[in-house]
Amino acid sequence: MKKTILFIFIVVLSSLIANSQTKLSQSESLVLKNKIIKTSKATKTITNNFKQSKHLSFLSKDIVSYGKLVFKAPDLIKWTYNKPFKYSVIFKDNQLFINDDGTKSDIDLSANKAFKNLNNLIIQSVKGDMFDDEKFDISYFKVSTNYMIRFVSKDKSLKSFIKEFELTFDTQNYHVLNIKMIESSEDYTTITFLDQQINKSVSDAIFIN
Amino acid sequence: MRYLLINILFLSLISCASLSTTKNLKTTSINKIVENSYFSNIELDYVYKAKINVNNNNIGGLLIVKKIKKKHHRVVFTTEFGNKIFDFEFNNNVFKVNSIMEQLNKKIVINALKKDFQLLIKEFNKATNKFNDNTHFIYQTTLNKKDNYYFINKTTKNLDKIVMASKHKEKVTIYFKNKKNNIAKNIQIKHQNFNMNMQLNYLN
Repeated sequence: MKKTILFIFIVVLSSLIANSQTKLSQSESLVLKNKIIKTSKATKTITNNFKQSKHLSFLSKDIVSYGKLVFKAPDLIKWTYNKPFKYSVIFKDNQLFINDDGTKSDIDLSANKAFKNLNNLIIQSVKGDMFDDEKFDISYFKVSTNYMIRFVSKDKSLKSFIKEFELTFDTQNYHVLNIKMIESSEDYTTITFLDQQINKSVSDAIFIN
Repeated sequence: MRYLLINILFLSLISCASLSTTKNLKTTSINKIVENSYFSNIELDYVYKAKINVNNNNIGGLLIVKKIKKKHHRVVFTTEFGNKIFDFEFNNNVFKVNSIMEQLNKKIVINALKKDFQLLIKEFNKATNKFNDNTHFIYQTTLNKKDNYYFINKTTKNLDKIVMASKHKEKVTIYFKNKKNNIAKNIQIKHQNFNMNMQLNYLN
């Protein structure tokens, strides 16, 4: 009996520690923001594997997919899903180049404002540099061993899409570890980056569809 | 000559009026519930990779169908990134749009999507006529002033396809392929009256 109580106590305590979230002071926030912007500017390439989970309240389990992300400054991105389906999209020269399991197509972003905004947000969120006070209410937290910055959308059309972004940063190198996009319905998507490689040489040929 | 003209006119009227789905097939009137059980398991999350081709434009995404309870389904379409394109609810024939992307928020688009997905998921359908071809029993049901024909394979007893039609013309055909344990691994939704084709492949 004693053992059981002790066990429950440990479980409760450890979950409290794991979820502990403290708001940073204004000066701490500013220091963190500047470090992230500095890191983002020094980042020429990012190569990541990722795990994506889509949470929909009415489903019994999250929809999980896996893939690879390659970023090359200033604005080239290739986002590839390998499992459980094959799909890739390249963001390049104001266009989206899509390869949907062999079916290739492209979308001109200059003609499509919604897609263009989304494209910019994706690039910014991967780099971590989304510090636009006009678009977002921004708040800074320490969450267990990482930093978390919450970007709450102010823009009405974006809000209908994504209510807020939560980016989790590594406390050592200030790179993005995790992106959480929360919809107005409270359903959300999380993208966790794995095996991150920074400033590894990346050939332009990767960004050809 | 006049007789011939009348004959041709009459014949062409007949051919216009007969639906190729049931052409030359004998019909008997019945009273039977035809089941489409491909989205009937409350325990399952039905997640499909979708490829849509509209007028030679390709759109990809995920189609998610969940039976919440009897006669109650959620149908959600998201991009591969997870952003919701639309979120529909069918509850006892009451249709509700929980959300839809601004660009698609048009009555004509919503109605077209509603009709397709209602046809895809509707589990119990009251048939009033039965036809017979070499391979299938064909059950005729009515929904939204359209006739729906359910093709039940005589050998496997599986639902192989549904054809939605007006009195004279086929409008939409849904093919259920690669079926296992009441799951159709591949589904094709094909529109006959305009250039739209949706290919669904089951994930997991």
